[in-house]
Amino acid sequence: MTSPALAPAPVREAIVATGVARRFGSVHAVTDATLTVPAGSVTALIGPNGCGKTTLMLMLSGLLRPDSGTITVAGCDPRTDAAAVRASIGWMPDQLGSWDNLTCLQTLTLMGEAYRIPRATARTRGMELLARVHLTEFAERPARVLSRGQKQRLSLARALVHDPAVLLLDEPANGLDPRSRIELRELVREFAAEGRAVLVSSHVLAELDEMVDDAIFMSQGRTLGDDAAAMVADAKTRYRIGATNPAQLQALLTQYQVAFEPEAGGAIVRVESQDHAAQSLSWIVEHGVAIHQFGPVGSALEQTYMAMNEERR
Amino acid sequence: MSTVTTEPGAVAPAHAPVSPPPRRGNPWAPTWHGVGLMARIELRRRRPTVKGYVFYGLTFAVTIGICILAAVMDTSELTSVPLELALILVMGVGALIAPSLSATSVNGDSTEGVLAPLQMSHLTAGDIAVGKLLASWCVAVIALLALSPFLVYAFLKSGWHLDELLVTIAAVLLVVLALTAVGLAWSSLAARAVASVALAHLTTGVLLIGTLVLYGVASIAVTDTVTYTDRYIDWEQLSEEEAQALDAAYVSGDYSSLDPADYTCTEHEYTSGVAHTERVAWILLLNPAVMVAETAPVVDPETYIRDGRAAPGLFSGIHTAVSGARVGPFEDDLGNVTQWDECAEIFGTGDGAGAGEEADAQTAEELEAEWALEEQDWQEYERAVATTAPAPWPGVAVCVVLLFGSMALVIQRLRVPYKKLRKGTRVA
Ligand SMILES: Nc1ncnc2c1ncn2[C@@H]1O[C@H](COP(=O)(O)OP(=O)(O)O)[C@@H](O)[C@H]1O
Ligand SMILES: [Mg+2]
Repeated sequence: MTSPALAPAPVREAIVATGVARRFGSVHAVTDATLTVPAGSVTALIGPNGCGKTTLMLMLSGLLRPDSGTITVAGCDPRTDAAAVRASIGWMPDQLGSWDNLTCLQTLTLMGEAYRIPRATARTRGMELLARVHLTEFAERPARVLSRGQKQRLSLARALVHDPAVLLLDEPANGLDPRSRIELRELVREFAAEGRAVLVSSHVLAELDEMVDDAIFMSQGRTLGDDAAAMVADAKTRYRIGATNPAQLQALLTQYQVAFEPEAGGAIVRVESQDHAAQSLSWIVEHGVAIHQFGPVGSALEQTYMAMNEERR
Repeated sequence: MSTVTTEPGAVAPAHAPVSPPPRRGNPWAPTWHGVGLMARIELRRRRPTVKGYVFYGLTFAVTIGICILAAVMDTSELTSVPLELALILVMGVGALIAPSLSATSVNGDSTEGVLAPLQMSHLTAGDIAVGKLLASWCVAVIALLALSPFLVYAFLKSGWHLDELLVTIAAVLLVVLALTAVGLAWSSLAARAVASVALAHLTTGVLLIGTLVLYGVASIAVTDTVTYTDRYIDWEQLSEEEAQALDAAYVSGDYSSLDPADYTCTEHEYTSGVAHTERVAWILLLNPAVMVAETAPVVDPETYIRDGRAAPGLFSGIHTAVSGARVGPFEDDLGNVTQWDECAEIFGTGDGAGAGEEADAQTAEELEAEWALEEQDWQEYERAVATTAPAPWPGVAVCVVLLFGSMALVIQRLRVPYKKLRKGTRVA
């Protein structure tokens, strides 16, 4: 339920960036980043430490000027309309910062006022957001006493005070407990369902798998476009088969010329769809092989990430 | 990767609709709403703890105590010194604390990670800069308010007029505001808070003490050497009897028995420096403390009782010292005249030839008249110095330039998107 004022003309492509680059002195933090985030969807930004995720997000949010390349956010160019770009973005920084002496509710109310929302409305909105991130009981307590994960959730609430059309979440899952992670995943899906564009960077790949529509891999300041997308698509088709007698399974697959990767406990095969998987399973069982495990290999993102085999900076 | 497809609005909980106004371009100018909000945020963050309130309460109680003590020991004579001390106290507290606060407020916030979220909001760079400036400056205003009971008491005894007090208070607050702005500027330039606080206090020191040192050095550069000539009896050419006769004459004061022909006069020339301080006195006027003193009422040392004023106090003292420098040296000190002439005093003539008793007596009268004239000249000079029209404007100009220059710099440094970052810092 985005307010009509925020979505003047429905912009399908909420974020478009082409050939963005930025360096700090001699450090090339981002050398060539190209990405598109459609409205109403969640896109992941994945890459090792120091590959330039935060720097890219800062440029998208209109806090940092790119050395080259073009950016459009919610239909505005940060070079000419930086204020409009910033106004349309809810940004959750990876650095945890909060006003220690102020209560959670005061923080959100003042932040709302900074967006020129009347104080009473900002206060109501603050209470709602606290409820949404499960911090209601901390409303009147100073931010100083919050734990890391709670601060993280307050930071997420702060990014939402002005009902932004675009959300940039920089490693939001850092420091969250398992339950909070699942809740975050649901929240992020809700944001997308509300029509917002969400770009989320994270290391917790297994979590991302379940919440993102698209993934952008970054390595040494570069976004890996179609190659990485193909790898993700491929990784999604990989199924692991565990047999009580692996040799028998591998012999069967070899006999019928099915491509497979042999493993100690069985084999990995590629299936095109869930139906195909079901057919394959019954076919193997019909041939008398005892199967104790059959399913996707694991996080497609994680597999792609590991397969990229890039060096950490 | 799951693709949860939900109808927009189906999941969203009902929430208060918020509609921030749309924005265009990248404005930087301060706005009333933004400055007020930023100052409120800063003041709330710095709100003292319980311990702080106890400390401030004690300070306030001590101040009131001193005030009562001073009232009890009342001499019922007008005196401006307590008022001047109170104003100096406000300026001292303000100049020490306010810049310390402002000097940590940009780089400190950036380190804590609370600056960037504000820059993302509708607050402009001007809002953030001016809001932070005013919040830090408030310390000086609070110090003033805390001292206000004492100020009222001191003012009633000071012989100042209300408008004069208001002008001087305004000057004190302007000085503190300018120094606070300088602290903020250092804070936006230096990466670390320690460095910017040190630099802020260094700037204050340069303005308050550095100008005095510079004036001292500069006045050496404008010192002219002047030659003075003394004439006296040459003892080395005297015989023993003549020397004894002269000694006796010194004791009795009767020189008539001496024969001028026996005594030769000798001349001695020496040089001394006279500083033409009027050429460098403007350096003193740049000093903020001098500027504050220059805004105080001028007290005429001869007519102050008739004028209903207190005797010249601290600020009058500063004004007199500065005006002395501005007026320059006393004319008679400018040299190239015979300063002391023993032969003329004793024998009534310069060369000691054919002098008699009459000549001697006449010279004494003439001398007295001359001395009286000189004395009068000196007094007029002193009075002219004390009542020289005050010149606070150079100091005011320095403060205004520092204030606006610093704020322009801070606003420029706070504008996003950043082109350049402070060396060794991250945005977030
Ligand atoms: N302000 C800065 N000054 C100098 N180097 C920087 C700055 N910000 C980032 N970098 C460098 O740029 C690279 C990318 O940083 P960052 O975007 O923070 O990576 P990530 O968020 O992907 O871990 C790193 O090597 C980092 O050291
Ligand atoms: Mg990062």
